[in-house]
Amino acid sequence: MKRFAIVFKTEFILFLRDFFGVFFALAFPVLMLLLFGGIYGNEPVSPEAATGVMDVSVPAYAVMVMGVTGLMSFPLTLAGYKERKIYKRFDASPVGKKTVIAAQAVVNVVMTLFGIANLLIAGKLLYHIRIQGTLLPVCTALLLSAAAMFSMGFFFTAVGRDEKSTNLLCYLFYFIMLFLSGATIPDMLFPAAMKTIAGFLPMTYAVDFMQGVFAGDSLIEHGKEIAVLGTLTVVLVAAGALLYRKKDWA
Amino acid sequence: MAEKVVQVEQLRLSYQRVQAVRDVTFSLGEGEILAVIGQNGSGKTSTVECIEGLRKPDSGLIRVFGKDPWRQRGEVYKKMGVQLQETEYPLKIRVEEQCRLFAGFYERPADWELLLSQLGLADKRKRQVRKLSGGEKQRLSVLLALMGRPKLLILDELTTGLDPEARQGMWRSLESIQKGGAAIILVSHYLDEVERLADKILYLEKGEQCFFGTKQGFREYAKSRIPREEWEEGQSLEQIYLQLAPETKGLTTEGIL
Repeated sequence: MKRFAIVFKTEFILFLRDFFGVFFALAFPVLMLLLFGGIYGNEPVSPEAATGVMDVSVPAYAVMVMGVTGLMSFPLTLAGYKERKIYKRFDASPVGKKTVIAAQAVVNVVMTLFGIANLLIAGKLLYHIRIQGTLLPVCTALLLSAAAMFSMGFFFTAVGRDEKSTNLLCYLFYFIMLFLSGATIPDMLFPAAMKTIAGFLPMTYAVDFMQGVFAGDSLIEHGKEIAVLGTLTVVLVAAGALLYRKKDWA
Repeated sequence: MAEKVVQVEQLRLSYQRVQAVRDVTFSLGEGEILAVIGQNGSGKTSTVECIEGLRKPDSGLIRVFGKDPWRQRGEVYKKMGVQLQETEYPLKIRVEEQCRLFAGFYERPADWELLLSQLGLADKRKRQVRKLSGGEKQRLSVLLALMGRPKLLILDELTTGLDPEARQGMWRSLESIQKGGAAIILVSHYLDEVERLADKILYLEKGEQCFFGTKQGFREYAKSRIPREEWEEGQSLEQIYLQLAPETKGLTTEGIL
């Protein structure tokens, strides 16, 4: 545990020194909030609706934070460490790569939580957003959505032959999902063809799940999202772990 | 009988269809220095990476302090320090942070601040590791290998990139470490280094073990392989090695000029 703590501390410091990681996890979602909040305010999404534009945007931006850490920061760190054989150096010490990878995952989870907290505080202070959901559904949606994003990132590092191909996969999926999942542009504006594509993207389910529970939905109402995100997490982690066993780390 | 620090028997390792190491057998006791020599691609690094628990051998037996380094890596590394042939560090990590990180891995770490000054890195402690010169990085990797006060030290191309003064200093350090009872495995292309430091030599050719024994034994082995008319008594190890190693074609000016 002492060794994990010291690796975690070092990795956390290194994360904070990475401008892009910190900017996209902490500042960018708040800038999005300011931009769209400045345009729409927190007016109801439709005349008869009880929820405002920012009430539904904040949980969607929270998924965007998960995408940044789970699909960009974590896998790119992992791919970089592997390619430069930094994990090999840890394997040649009493602390193996598993401890380092676990610490890096936890650092990114912590940064995800900071990013979301940042977003909620800004949303509350600036636009008085309303969170009508209770703790259990909100936490479940947060955890399951984050798990799905991180498992995708992990799987891409297992599939990618090197840092470059991993970067390509992560960037490609992140930006496709960012624009087509409803995380930034409301999916109600999408034409039918785009909605069909969105149906294949894991982030779409995470956004729907988060927006639903933030608006007060129960978990039972989101069985489909739970099934998709849960299955995806299990399958991608298992497949990634299998592929990792075949990789040459030395 | 005292337990061997390293015991290797019939070690075999292949990469897909390429046999990298074939039937390597040797042992090393406390306070001994073993030099592993051979041309590029002769299997030196593959052999030591098996001992380091970084590669799983196809067959054979490896014991380090009586333990299997592949399966009991955590236990073995409490007493083993390693300097890899190539080491990269996380981007933006500073020298002192890298040292503090590795110090945290051991129950009783070495005094790394003292080592930093002994290795001429004290004024670089706040510098990012990636901004160090090649020789400075090499010295840092030696420091990290020494962090756990190892009883077995494995150094893969220790003095590559070091200037002559630093090499001499490093040799003196290794001699002190040896006097303290630690065993050392030294992978090297520098035969002057081997001549000065090694008690034993493991000579590999194309993954095959050609010789294991003392320096004097190596001279006798070489004498038996080198044509009599080419053999001269009193030659340095380097001269012997050059006669012994499979011929390599040098670069000519043809095609350049």
